[in-house]
Amino acid sequence: MITALIDLNVGNKGKILEIRGGRMVNQRLNDLGLTIGSIVTVKRRAPFAGPIHLLVRGSNLALGRGIAAKIIVQRLT
Amino acid sequence: MKNSNIQKIRVALAGNANVGKSVIFNLLTGLHQHIGNWPGKTIERAVGSVYHKGYEIEIIDLPGIYSLSTYSLEEIISREFILTEKPDVIINVVDGSILERNLFFTLQLMELNTPLILLVNQMDIARSKGILLDFKKLETAVGFPVIPTVATRGIGFTKVLDDIVAIYTGKKKSIPKTTFYGPELEAQISKIQKVLEIKKILPTYPQRWLALKILEEDEEILKQIRRKQKVPFQHFRNDHKQPEEYTDILVFSRALILSLEEFHGHSCGSLITSERYDVVSSILSEVQQIEAKIVPPLRERIDSIILHPILGYFILFVSVTLLLFGVFYIGDTVSSSLLILFENLKPFHVDVFGEGLLSELIWASLEGLMGGISIALPYILPFYLILGILEDSGYMTRIAFLMDRLMHTIGLHGKAFIPCMLGIGCNVPACLGCRILERQRDRTLAIFIVTLIPCTAQTLIIFALVGKFLGFHWVLLLYLLNLLVIIILGKLALKTLPGEPMGLIMEMVSFRKPNTKVVLTQTWFRLKEFIYIALPLIIVGNIILKALEIYEFLDIMNAVLSPVTVTLLELPEEIGIALIFGIFRKELAVILLGTLFGTMDFATVMSPVQMIVFSVVTMFYIPCIATIAALRRELRWKKTLVIVGFEILFAIAIGVVVSRVIQFSSDVGLIF
Repeated sequence: MITALIDLNVGNKGKILEIRGGRMVNQRLNDLGLTIGSIVTVKRRAPFAGPIHLLVRGSNLALGRGIAAKIIVQRLT
Repeated sequence: MKNSNIQKIRVALAGNANVGKSVIFNLLTGLHQHIGNWPGKTIERAVGSVYHKGYEIEIIDLPGIYSLSTYSLEEIISREFILTEKPDVIINVVDGSILERNLFFTLQLMELNTPLILLVNQMDIARSKGILLDFKKLETAVGFPVIPTVATRGIGFTKVLDDIVAIYTGKKKSIPKTTFYGPELEAQISKIQKVLEIKKILPTYPQRWLALKILEEDEEILKQIRRKQKVPFQHFRNDHKQPEEYTDILVFSRALILSLEEFHGHSCGSLITSERYDVVSSILSEVQQIEAKIVPPLRERIDSIILHPILGYFILFVSVTLLLFGVFYIGDTVSSSLLILFENLKPFHVDVFGEGLLSELIWASLEGLMGGISIALPYILPFYLILGILEDSGYMTRIAFLMDRLMHTIGLHGKAFIPCMLGIGCNVPACLGCRILERQRDRTLAIFIVTLIPCTAQTLIIFALVGKFLGFHWVLLLYLLNLLVIIILGKLALKTLPGEPMGLIMEMVSFRKPNTKVVLTQTWFRLKEFIYIALPLIIVGNIILKALEIYEFLDIMNAVLSPVTVTLLELPEEIGIALIFGIFRKELAVILLGTLFGTMDFATVMSPVQMIVFSVVTMFYIPCIATIAALRRELRWKKTLVIVGFEILFAIAIGVVVSRVIQFSSDVGLIF
């Protein structure tokens, strides 16, 4: 199923299909390992519509909701 | 012991943020460090040296970065340093527990054709995650020495120095392997490289790297090429005509980029990043094994408590409250004994300097110095020490995660909470601390917020007046008012600043035991900002005010200010001069008030309403002179003056409102 990263549940895995958004944000996400085709796991979400905590390529990242909404993933589990 | 024959080896230390690079820098160089700024930049530059086997090894600590693109000033600085200064060896520090992301950066360093040493640090954390590495295989795969270390325990360092010397003298080989990407990309790289070979546009740069940067459409590189291409083509000859020779290289490469993007459906920059990560993955599949852990590591369990939706906020609230109370409770005791001790020195001062104008002025400057110390030593130092421990342990990134949503209400992301915390200590390092934000717009907004946060000195006023005479619940109320003002003004400022707020992108650092040396260095840097920027201004301010007092200007100034202080704010006339003093040193306002009234029992000279109004006004009315200096450094004069002017007007306005509201409530018998 294709969805935005922000809509994955805690524990879900997803494969990144597309990153929408400006060049700068795109590049930073790429550099941190969020490239097209990479697998991310959602570890937790902060309450009150806060950021999400991800595991990607063995590193832990926090992404704000706005950014996580622009990352399109294929849900794997 | 200078020896001019000694040979110098220049080494750059490069790596991601939070891989323990500063610990390694400290361990390698010891006390022989020089810390300044990169020329013309507000980014710290640390250089140190060490003598080993008859060589002087000079180590430059590059900023912690994730890539060699042009995302941030730090990345540009690091890249320019490597390309133009050409260090003899680069030590690349990587986090063994997050090798994939770290080797992505290593790959970019390899493209720069400089001898490398790979330091695989935090092997203890890696092992606890069940990660096993074959260093011999990794060495073969990359083509340069690989050394496992645990920096916090000083393991593996003699070998690093040995290897630096061995590479420099040619006894050991460090030739980074060329990494090859997919066939489509390689085809375009070689086409561009061919053109570069003929045109010799930037001949000192590694040409394969340059070709990649052109394909990535790296802004810095494109700019440099445009500048170079304006120069008439010197080596142009008709005899070996190539189609590329006639075209602008950027026009030529643009066509290649478009064809690549059409083929893959993504931007060329993304494509190259993906390919780099693919290379890293294939290296790792050879050298890394991960044993599945049945019991989750302690770190994971700590995270699930600290980042818990309810418990997490509770822990955050308790730890911040404890930090503030602890610091202010201990600070108060130490500070007052310091000041008493100092006052006892007055007779000796009179013995030495006698009485008279000069003696008074000398005493005033000593008083300023002492006043600064009595803030720095008991309050700011312990506060930043504890904050440093929280930062180095990794807790600060958790706080940023938890506070992200809340910070969004004022248009900032979670990382901005860190300078706000710094602001409770002193606004000067807090303004400089806003540099952790990526964009100038966010920095400006955060700095404005920081100036509204009551610093140590402002907190002291509130406690000395309201806390002592009206009770603690009034202090809490004032802080709530402060929070409300921050949210409202933050929202308004957000509307006036153009641009969308930037979202949070942050690495959540692994929890670890804080390193004493790193914490101490960080604390010292912040304290130094207070000492260098604030202290001189405090001393000069004290001397000026003493002179004004001696020449009896104070009454005149009180009279000049009385339309505001007496008519609008309904405060005693003497307050005027206390507010002026506050610009130099806020906490002095209270002490001065005592002198002006001739008593420290303020209840006899000020009504409760007046105490509250005075506290509210000092909370907001103007950043102190040291903060203004810090503002000017970060924002230049125009924005600084706007902020200062606004805050003066705002403080008067809120003072007027508060005085009327409280007076009314008091009149109808609601309070007091």
